[in-house]
Amino acid sequence: MEKVIMGNHAVSYGAKLARAQVIAAYPITPQTQIVEILSEFCADGLLDAKFIKVESEHSAMAACIGASSAGARAFTATSGHGLALMHEMLHWATGARLPIVMANVNRAMGPGWSIWTEQTDSLSQRDTGWLQFYCESNQEVLDTVIQAFKIAERVLLPVMLVLDAFFLSHTEEPVDIPDQELVDSYLPPYDARYKLDTSDPHAFGALVTPDHYMELRYKIQQAMEEAIEVVRQADREFGGDFGRSYGLVEGYRLEDAEVVLVTSATITSTARVVVDELREEGHKIGLLKVRMFRPFPVEDIREALAGASKVAVIDRNISFGHGGIFAEETKAALYNGAHRPPIFGFVIGLGGRDVTPASIRGIAEYTLEHDVPETEIIWREVKK
Amino acid sequence: MPEEIVFKTEADMPPLPMSLGTTLVNKTGSWRYIRPLYMDKTPPCNNKCPAGEDIVGYLALVKEGKYKQAWELIKQENPFPGVCGRVCPHPCESKCNREELGGAIAIHTIERFLADWAASQHLGVSASKQRYDAKVAVIGSGPAGLSCAYHLARRGYPVTVFEALPLAGGMMRVGIPEYRLPRQVLDREIADIEAVGVEIRNGMRLGANLRMSDLDDYDAVFIAVGLQQSRKLSIPGEEAEGIVHGLEFLNRVHRGEEVQVAPRVMVIGGGNTAVDAARTALRLGSKATILYRRSRAEMPAITEEIEEALAEGVEIRYLTTPIEVLTESGRVTGLKCVKMGLGAPDESGRRRPIPIEGSEYTLEANTIIPAIAQELEDGSWKLEDGSWKLEAGDRRPALSLAAGLEVEGGRIVINEAGATTAPAIFAGGDAATPFGTVAHAIGSGKRAALAIDRYLRGEELSGFPPIEEAVHAFPRDTSPIIVRFEDLNLAYFEELERMAQPQMPVEKRVRGFQEVNLGFSEKDAQAEAERCFSCGTCNLCDTCLIFCPDVAIARLMAPPYPVPLACLNGAGYKVNYDYCKGCGVCAEECPRYAISIEEELKWKK
Repeated sequence: MEKVIMGNHAVSYGAKLARAQVIAAYPITPQTQIVEILSEFCADGLLDAKFIKVESEHSAMAACIGASSAGARAFTATSGHGLALMHEMLHWATGARLPIVMANVNRAMGPGWSIWTEQTDSLSQRDTGWLQFYCESNQEVLDTVIQAFKIAERVLLPVMLVLDAFFLSHTEEPVDIPDQELVDSYLPPYDARYKLDTSDPHAFGALVTPDHYMELRYKIQQAMEEAIEVVRQADREFGGDFGRSYGLVEGYRLEDAEVVLVTSATITSTARVVVDELREEGHKIGLLKVRMFRPFPVEDIREALAGASKVAVIDRNISFGHGGIFAEETKAALYNGAHRPPIFGFVIGLGGRDVTPASIRGIAEYTLEHDVPETEIIWREVKK
Repeated sequence: MPEEIVFKTEADMPPLPMSLGTTLVNKTGSWRYIRPLYMDKTPPCNNKCPAGEDIVGYLALVKEGKYKQAWELIKQENPFPGVCGRVCPHPCESKCNREELGGAIAIHTIERFLADWAASQHLGVSASKQRYDAKVAVIGSGPAGLSCAYHLARRGYPVTVFEALPLAGGMMRVGIPEYRLPRQVLDREIADIEAVGVEIRNGMRLGANLRMSDLDDYDAVFIAVGLQQSRKLSIPGEEAEGIVHGLEFLNRVHRGEEVQVAPRVMVIGGGNTAVDAARTALRLGSKATILYRRSRAEMPAITEEIEEALAEGVEIRYLTTPIEVLTESGRVTGLKCVKMGLGAPDESGRRRPIPIEGSEYTLEANTIIPAIAQELEDGSWKLEDGSWKLEAGDRRPALSLAAGLEVEGGRIVINEAGATTAPAIFAGGDAATPFGTVAHAIGSGKRAALAIDRYLRGEELSGFPPIEEAVHAFPRDTSPIIVRFEDLNLAYFEELERMAQPQMPVEKRVRGFQEVNLGFSEKDAQAEAERCFSCGTCNLCDTCLIFCPDVAIARLMAPPYPVPLACLNGAGYKVNYDYCKGCGVCAEECPRYAISIEEELKWKK
């Protein structure tokens, strides 16, 4: 069934179709609509889930951890400061190997107080052991929620899907809402291997001495590495069942491209238009959309950039003291590879400032005009 | 002991920090020094009900929609839910913990709903299969007499009730106006009492056509003759024409006699009889004024009745006492009154009224209705040396009346079992107790029934609670701990307004004797019962089970439950003390204080 819905509601429909059993959430703009409609689904009996109102995001994640520990499919959504408040519990979810799925609507961190989009909130959670997917459209949002549960439950790691504030969260697009039966066959009920079970009680989360701690961390990294294939397979299977797939990364007009723009989230859609225009003007330019940020798809990126002579990474985020985070990750991914083109790191659109086709054209032209970047961070459109 | 698990490589390890062995070996109960116990406490309503009803029990049944069981639960203790649901001053509601969160539960209106519902379903009470030979005579068919007869008959005793008037019911019939208690309600509940085997013989007045010697065949007697004599004002002019005492006035109206009232009626007194008389006079077309010597705060009549009287146009003059009836050729023309001030509290705890010198004034009146107090009738008794005795000729060996019945302070002396100073003779109701309500009389009759049952089976009559406390026909565990508001976990209860029953509009009700209060619909009764906290009474809400961090609480029952949820008394759950480490979370979290904590001083010798 096709419906015109906002990105936030695409998340809600995804969680409903995935038959989330426990939803614990605390409202925060621009996420609130996600859990608002989910609470209505629960109240109206359209979704057989326990909706837990909590007093903070920290508690929301703690409640999801409890539910998931007991073997329930747990879901939550948050944004910006809410995600930051969850930080401790994000580590816990990973260490306890709980397949929780969370939607994070990117929101710039305050102060200055902001509700608009920026990726620094989710990228700050880079090292918590959560898988991260950055979505480009409302359809991709819905589909990724369903895929996320399948992936999480297979590798026993939590998954965060990320969408831009307002550009996706509050923007309405036509979205195909798949049939429940189809989703049910793609995503069978979660059957937890390790869970709190009063008929077979075990101790969980106890003190682990240096004798064993490192082995547990090693196993998390193993699961992350395994996840790359699991994601690929889940996406392929999804494509077979639903006719849509997204990949870990997606190349656009990469054939013979000398300059490649690397983007994520909604900037990608704008960049596609600019790439088309520049191609028409005769430039050999292509686009690489990075959908999966954790685990970082190093091999896919090396392969996609194998023919590029220059790479321009567009970051709507910043790691202060270093640079745009996608740019730094891309550099690191290529460094030990055979092909090491110059990488231009552009920072733009922080705090939700519009990134227009003209903005992206400017970035492309800068890259075309320069052999190497003049600075490690190339700030764009800063009022100087 | 389980064997130690050694991990040689990461592949041996589970992916998360968890024990591979079971934790059941770790009996955390050994850490405990306090333990939780499921122990129901007494809800304040149950504690205050003079008739000994299990109010929380029947409210729980109403919540479940089990009206029949709810009605039967009341009927175990009280044969008059329809009467009490209308006329009881509901002391149960006075201490209801709900008061703090939207107002006390309208218990009486729910009780009335159940009685009316049972009537609409033609429900009856079953008679006992047990038959005893010993027979009991009850003198007086008011609430005390009929309650005693009912409880004895339900236990299998043949009981005969002797009533002086042509119809049974006592004050319920001749004292309480019809607009408060329609007679078909009373008739129906008396019919229930007859249905369990009670024989009622009307028109039998003790000392007139009934003598104690007529009761030779009976093995025990219960005297519940009430207080039938109105106390005089003891002021000049009291014998004038136009003075009629409150009860006599009501009695005549209720018997259907043509009663003429003058246009200007003065009622003297502050109790229910005064209010009833004034409202009745009003309905007969008079302008009625109540004169009361203290202030509104001290007025003993039921608050709602006072409010209804005022709404109907009855005037109440407080701090006023009549000192002389003014007459003209033997007929009342007015009252000379004096204004009163309030002094220090007297033995009743109320402030004593003191006449204000020089404040005399007169009021016009054509009819004066004194309704200040009722006394034991002396018609059938004879005073000898400070004690009252039955007339000569009434003595008989079995009842050993030679000792006589001791009377003190205008009431027959009884002990805690309701036994008089004469063997085999018990007494109750207003003739023997100071409370003056239908519910108290019902409780007092029941107390005597329990005592007579024991007496006839040759058992000791000891162990009855003090006369102020209720007794139970169906024994149940009652804790001495009464639940206070602060004992409840308010996180579970939200403020909800008390539901008021609809009333007939004032202009309509003053034109006749139709019932003023109109009762609850089923929906209202359910909603009102839902407000009940179920104080101190486990109702299987599962909060303890959900909160127990050690999963050491097990539920013992699943629906359908064999007993009303509110009557489980701790039988709903079991604590596994092998693992309960005594954290107390269950007791702390329990919404209704149905779990107690007990210290376990294991190290004490």
